[in-house]
Amino acid sequence: MKAFRNFAFVSTVTSYLLIFTGGLVRVSGAGLGCPDWPKCFGRWLPPLGVSQLPTDVDPSTFNFALAWIEYLNRLFGMLLGLLVVVTAILAIIHYRRVLRILLPTLIAALCVAFAGWQGGKVVTSHLEPLSVSFHLIVALAVVTLLTYVTQQAYYLDKGMMAHSGSADRTHVWIALLWLVTIIQILLGTHVRASLEKLAITFPLDNDLALIAKSGGAKYIHTVFGIFTAIMTFQVAHQVLRLGGRALPLMRVAVWSVMSLMVVQLLLGTGLLVIGIPPLLQVFHLWVAALLIGTILYLYSAVRVEVQSS
Amino acid sequence: MTTSNSAPKKLFWTVPVIALLAIAAAVIINWAETSRAQMPALGEVPRFSLTERNGKPVTKDDLTGHLTVVDFIFTTCRGICPTMTANMSELYQLYKSSDKVHFLSISVDPDRDSLEVLLRYANDHGVTDNRWLFARGALVDVAYLMEKGFMLSAEDLPGGHPSQFILVDNKAQIRGYYTNEDPSGLDALKTQIRELARAMP
Repeated sequence: MKAFRNFAFVSTVTSYLLIFTGGLVRVSGAGLGCPDWPKCFGRWLPPLGVSQLPTDVDPSTFNFALAWIEYLNRLFGMLLGLLVVVTAILAIIHYRRVLRILLPTLIAALCVAFAGWQGGKVVTSHLEPLSVSFHLIVALAVVTLLTYVTQQAYYLDKGMMAHSGSADRTHVWIALLWLVTIIQILLGTHVRASLEKLAITFPLDNDLALIAKSGGAKYIHTVFGIFTAIMTFQVAHQVLRLGGRALPLMRVAVWSVMSLMVVQLLLGTGLLVIGIPPLLQVFHLWVAALLIGTILYLYSAVRVEVQSS
Repeated sequence: MTTSNSAPKKLFWTVPVIALLAIAAAVIINWAETSRAQMPALGEVPRFSLTERNGKPVTKDDLTGHLTVVDFIFTTCRGICPTMTANMSELYQLYKSSDKVHFLSISVDPDRDSLEVLLRYANDHGVTDNRWLFARGALVDVAYLMEKGFMLSAEDLPGGHPSQFILVDNKAQIRGYYTNEDPSGLDALKTQIRELARAMP
């Protein structure tokens, strides 16, 4: 069903943009740009000026830029919400007997609804670090599920199936790499949370000073990052060795995973050396999200395009 | 081997997309940063002369060279003052490693708040240095400073004193008023202290 595939694909792209805008909200400090939820200063559209503020709101708490940046994230969230609802309806209509498409689509739709509601909790918790990390994790679950169903629908429509009897074990290594990357992302959120906690105790310190003060988390994240990179190149080497039989889509996936990993290493090093400039931070987070989606994509590609051929 | 050559080439379209995203992100981040740094000076604190708990004079000069959080309280107040002083203590502890942020509590009940009372009040709240000053003066002078200097109502003193914190920058200019009624005011104050402190020499 082309309509389903199109909606699933657009939903996937939108969910990546949503993670990007979410990262932007975080690094620009706009998380409390709208202090209430779901409305912003009691309005469905954020105020355009102090004159539009409700009378019981202290005008000094209103910042036009921050309110609209936070609102941008909510807008993308609402857009994704609409898209996944349509995608889920199409899945129910066309794939109700194909559980490997129907179930992930429905779970993705539920996750989007949950992430929206939980985003409200992030605001009311005043950006409690664990709550912020959890918001990201739900978003990562959404992109994972949407990437998976988009690809599965493509293979199903093309009549391509994974061959369960394949002796090749490359896909197991790819699955492990995916898991290692998830752990690395969790370690990364822990680094961010620990820096945020330090910033509460040392509010006037700059990022480099905070990094210097932070404990072992940054070393663990760095060492594990190098390990993840080595594993990535090892797995990529293994996939490319399947070579002769490899289809173009799978090659794109392998090269994407390797390129993203190189970029991610550079970004991570940059953050440690230059001191967390916001732009690098957004991309460090976003590339991590792209990586897990691409690794998953590679997994299905190897299962279907290589091992069954 | 056309596939192996074309595969990396297929990724090239991502370069302009990512460049566009990066530019958009940089613009948005810059917008957020300038918006936070833009805190209009709401007025300059006029010349004044009060007396600190240690007997020394407190003047406008004591508000320069560092940021100052100012409030108006009286020591026997049972209304909002305990919250205000608790919040001020929190900030006093928070910024103890920095000399960029100072505090000034001005009594609106000079009849009862003698220098000795202020000294005891300061000690009771763990104030051990001159980052936090406690000042008193003739009620008419305090009321004048409140109304003409800080643009706050000075009616019904001492009970009706304003409950906000006032942020004064290193050039003795008023940069903002922050409520003590809920945590959002304190959060906004901390954010703006950080922004102003960053811009200070």
